[in-house]
Amino acid sequence: MGVQRQRLVPPTEWERDDMTHWMLKVEGLGKIHGLPDVQSVTDTGPDHATSKSRLTGSVVAAWDVSFEVAAGEALGVIGESGSGKSTVMRCIAGDQPATTGSVRLARVSDGATEILDLDGAARRRLRVDELAVVYQDPAEGLDLQVTAGGNVAERLTAAGWRHFGDIRARAAELLSRTEVPLERMDDLVGTFSGGMRQRVQLAKALANRPPIVLLDEPTTGLDASVAAGVLDLIRNVLEELGLAAVVVSHDFRVIEMLTTRCIVMHHGRVVEAGLTDQLLEDPHHPYSQRLVSAARS
Amino acid sequence: MSAARKPVVDISQLRKTFVLHTIDGRSVEALRGVDLVVHEGEHVALAGSSGAGKSSLLKCVYRTYLPTAGSVVLTPRSGVAVDLVTLSDTELAGLRGREVGYVSQFLRAEPRRGPLDIVTRAGVYRGMPREQARDAAVEALRRLNLDEGLWDVHATVLSGGEKQRVNLAAGTISPPRLLLLDEPVSALDPANREAALDLIADLTHQGVAVLSVFHDLDAMARLATRVVLMRDGHIAHEGAPHHVLDLLEGVAR
Repeated sequence: MGVQRQRLVPPTEWERDDMTHWMLKVEGLGKIHGLPDVQSVTDTGPDHATSKSRLTGSVVAAWDVSFEVAAGEALGVIGESGSGKSTVMRCIAGDQPATTGSVRLARVSDGATEILDLDGAARRRLRVDELAVVYQDPAEGLDLQVTAGGNVAERLTAAGWRHFGDIRARAAELLSRTEVPLERMDDLVGTFSGGMRQRVQLAKALANRPPIVLLDEPTTGLDASVAAGVLDLIRNVLEELGLAAVVVSHDFRVIEMLTTRCIVMHHGRVVEAGLTDQLLEDPHHPYSQRLVSAARS
Repeated sequence: MSAARKPVVDISQLRKTFVLHTIDGRSVEALRGVDLVVHEGEHVALAGSSGAGKSSLLKCVYRTYLPTAGSVVLTPRSGVAVDLVTLSDTELAGLRGREVGYVSQFLRAEPRRGPLDIVTRAGVYRGMPREQARDAAVEALRRLNLDEGLWDVHATVLSGGEKQRVNLAAGTISPPRLLLLDEPVSALDPANREAALDLIADLTHQGVAVLSVFHDLDAMARLATRVVLMRDGHIAHEGAPHHVLDLLEGVAR
């Protein structure tokens, strides 16, 4: 039926060689809320101007989404609310089960392991040091009832750090890297401003040097001046650590500043992919053209 | 003269048609079959009225505009020619900056970084050791008369002319093999403009292939080794600068 998860196929010699290029590879990812029926797929998408199937009542939140991200590269996912951007990110992160598709990480058994087939505990383990997520809402990535240092320390102990002095020193190093004043290290994150919470979330995400980071609307909801500072920080961190990043945003400024390539999503499908400057200056798909002209006016 | 030199970029039958879905699917032809070769150490200036296709040509070469048809064959330092029109996005991203550079009128995505940092990073990106890149950045910024007091302030607070000089310094440090210049001195006063034109002239002496758009004929006369006159999306004339520019001045008067 096409909605069953693809079985793992052992990589060929050529694919192994190719693996040095990508850190994260997503193929044919799909998420259907409701009956996972192929009919739901055929009567949804941009051509039908909806992601809800009239035939089955299912919502096809994302379908046939494929991309690769290399080390030191940031890929943008752009689209309006409800286009499926966050669904894609959540399926990769493991916050939501995908209906179909494949997600592989180059560092996990040389890219041979099908991440979507792993159980919950194994998925959570990946989040410790392979695949970090920075959410729009800091409450999703942080425990607001715990101090800034404690939040970062939690991630470090999950990775096996045991010595209190080492943990504290490393947490302090990470927080200063993300520009959190050290005198606030022992304050509860719940007392922090939005911009400061995002900085703590970033420090926590990067605690164990994961090679891949997913950023979901990382500056949305912040004041313009605060957003600019956080954006700057993210860009410097991505650049200096050579991370492979996926940046989900509806804001062209964020996409333009952080990414070199991007995909445009609409009603759960990828309608266009290209270099970021090309997508912004010469969009081809009717929806991308509307999106760009709306952002520019 | 240029016949003995190696071609850096070979543009053939390049076409660009925009289909505007937001305006009844109307199509606009920006380039209608452009053929042009730029060699090592050659500076080809594009002339013509606005809307003739000059900037479109630069953007199609850099692939900020996706060409509709034709080819743009670049011979990088490796000697293995590639068609920029059909190259994958990832491969193209790798060539950008290093083999083909684009200096626009404006500093793009204005970074909250200082000029010295911006220019040094550009050099490091093109493979210079950090120390050497920093020295070269200092030299370039001095040469373009950018006040030393501004070297570490965020580029967002600089004036248009100051930003333009930072942009030019970043685009020309350890220059790529092919450099596309789109009105790179438009915001500069006469003295700073002189220094910038001087820097651009040096690129040609270093063997960089330059394809440029300048709005003033003086800059073209001074820098170009060949001038190409564009009209309605194709090449109407090309030849020695004095020849084409005389033609243009005749029209202007």
